[in-house]
Amino acid sequence: MRTVIHCNFDLCTGCSICQMACAQIKTGGTNPRLALLRLEKQGLICRPVLCAQCRNAFCMQVCPSEAICREDDGRVVIREEKCTGCGLCVEACQVDMVFFDSDNKSARKCDLCGGDPACVKYCPTGALEKIKLGGDADA
Amino acid sequence: MPSGYMNKFLFVNLTTGEVKPMEVPEWLRDNFIGGKGFGMKLLYDLVPQYCDPLGPENVLMFMTGPLTGTLAPSMRACVVTKSPLTGTLLDSYFGGSFGHEIKYAGYDGIIITGRASEPVYLWIYNDSVEIRPAKGCWGMGTLEANRAIKEELRDPSIKIAGIGPAGENLVRFALISCEYNRQAGRGGAGAVMGAKNLKAVALKGTRPVYVHDQDAFLKAVEQGYRDLKASPDIQALVDTGTASAVPFANEVGVLPRRNYFDGTFAGANSISDFGQSKHLWLRSDACLGCPVRCSKVGYIRTGRYKGTVSDIVEYESAAMLGSNLEIDDIKAVTYLTHLCDELGLDSMSAGGVLGFAMEAADKGILPQKEVAGQPVRFGNPLAAEKMLEAVAYRRGDLGNLLADGVQRAAAKLGPAAEEFAVHIKGLETPAWGPRGATGIALALMTADRGGCHQRGMPLGEDLGGALWNGRPVDRLALSGKAEIVIHYQNYLAALDTLVKCDFGAFGIQPQTYLELYRTCTGRDLDGEDGLQLLGARIWNLGRQFNLREGLDPGLDTLPKRFFAPLPSGPCKGHRFTAEDVQVMLREYYLLRGWNADGRPGQEVLQELGLDNVKTTNI
Repeated sequence: MRTVIHCNFDLCTGCSICQMACAQIKTGGTNPRLALLRLEKQGLICRPVLCAQCRNAFCMQVCPSEAICREDDGRVVIREEKCTGCGLCVEACQVDMVFFDSDNKSARKCDLCGGDPACVKYCPTGALEKIKLGGDADA
Repeated sequence: MPSGYMNKFLFVNLTTGEVKPMEVPEWLRDNFIGGKGFGMKLLYDLVPQYCDPLGPENVLMFMTGPLTGTLAPSMRACVVTKSPLTGTLLDSYFGGSFGHEIKYAGYDGIIITGRASEPVYLWIYNDSVEIRPAKGCWGMGTLEANRAIKEELRDPSIKIAGIGPAGENLVRFALISCEYNRQAGRGGAGAVMGAKNLKAVALKGTRPVYVHDQDAFLKAVEQGYRDLKASPDIQALVDTGTASAVPFANEVGVLPRRNYFDGTFAGANSISDFGQSKHLWLRSDACLGCPVRCSKVGYIRTGRYKGTVSDIVEYESAAMLGSNLEIDDIKAVTYLTHLCDELGLDSMSAGGVLGFAMEAADKGILPQKEVAGQPVRFGNPLAAEKMLEAVAYRRGDLGNLLADGVQRAAAKLGPAAEEFAVHIKGLETPAWGPRGATGIALALMTADRGGCHQRGMPLGEDLGGALWNGRPVDRLALSGKAEIVIHYQNYLAALDTLVKCDFGAFGIQPQTYLELYRTCTGRDLDGEDGLQLLGARIWNLGRQFNLREGLDPGLDTLPKRFFAPLPSGPCKGHRFTAEDVQVMLREYYLLRGWNADGRPGQEVLQELGLDNVKTTNI
């Protein structure tokens, strides 16, 4: 079993509250540009793009300092104390969901706020849903 | 510096090319908080007396509040300037994301003065500010220019506020289109921008807005969400935006039809949420940071306007471009609204102006019987379309006549036209015909920017059965309305410093706003009494500005149309008399602490600390 955020793009209003909440929790201030997720406008819809907590995580594979690891609940997290700020994980992620924090010279990515993601909590429409996937896939 | 603020204004002089950041004075924040408060004080201090609103010395300001750009639900920003339509103060509010981006770029406001020698746009990326040539996008529609500038700067994430052809051609009711397709609509701010040769302001900001006490602030935000959830008014906005106000206004008899001749319209349902949801809407859309999502996106699927991407036709546009023109085809009304947005015309004033022209044609007063081959008459959407284009480009005698608004057009057409020139102090009135609702009438007569629906109209008390001090309110009573109107004018002016959205304020409670402000800034507004005091200070300062610019208090009155009996609806036969107006105004002036001639008395100015307040200089 692993926990991920599922996007119901058809319910997304583009309000960016998910990004504002993410930035608030992760940086202590608000600005959607500082969030660890993004919204993409596609025609008449708005599609949230989030870290998939990949089972085959490129970011984890390329990290030379074993700073990226998987928690028991499937979350892929960065251990800040081990991160050297080399940026290889940022390059490796094919959906651009690992970010470089130039102030702290380290990589940042969604860790599902430890299991209670702020983006899901504040989303007013249910466009973002925390779900559990899998079960017997690894059996 | 308290949290919630960025502590800087960006000042731009387009004549000299000077660009400089300015620290926000502590006393300005103490007394005027932000948004409308900053705007009114700076307008008073920076705009030279009697300046031509379309001259270089007029000041165009984009102002935010301490809660703009934070997680506080449903916050906006405003444009403040001297209006080319009324010659008095103008504060016009817009949602979307442009206001928030001002904060993210590191500013509490942008103050623009002067006039560029050729078309330009401003490109602001945090501290970097460039005045760039706008030759490539001059002449483009608002949304077209939005795309073009993003392409030129190679960044689709930029937030833009800009004008369309109407602003460029100095149409006196031109709007500023703010990222994305949210309008600072009323009063002609777009013409002020056009007169400065300023096509657009493009913004990108990467700074966070910090709050004073994050845990307490997030609790206040969550309370705001609960307030919104608990409100049936908000639920209606979530479901249908303001479009459902069309059948309501029709039922209570205040929906303008035929240039406000009447207050009911047989086609009301077609242009309301019923017609719109059936033919247009696909999904809800929201401004940045707003859980309400009152906007409804879709497109016109068949017919003449097929392919037009549509936003909700909110109540004012549906009524002013629909019922007021006797157009009941929702696709046509949607297209006309879209055309106003793209050309950069305020759809409310545009509906007022077109209604006036159609009535003038009907009465044989208008020299032009046709526009681009279309007969100018009520119920003809093609004529409306051609007239909007003529106005935006000031094409021909008709376009030029109407581009200056109802007041000036009526003055040109002569006394017979004054009888049905529906405006207050030059601003075309909103889609709430005041006959049968005296509180609405008083709010319209006394609104600080002219005929405006956002300045304390007691819709709930007059028409919705809401109680005032525990008692029902008689919709036709002449006394007792001043107290209600003043309360809301002050309350809303105070919230416009934060800067609230009108719709959010239907649900979010005063205590929640106070708590949001307190936890965001670490400062206190002193409860609901404090809000009243702040609102009164701003309201009186605005009045002082208007009087200084030559406002005749005798214009605190209603258009002649409303002195004729209402032909239909539940208040059929109701009309105002000159005596009615005086009775209501006397009570209003008295409660405001103003002299009988409508000028604030020395005592009230002292009480509000306006007698010896400091002055801002640049």
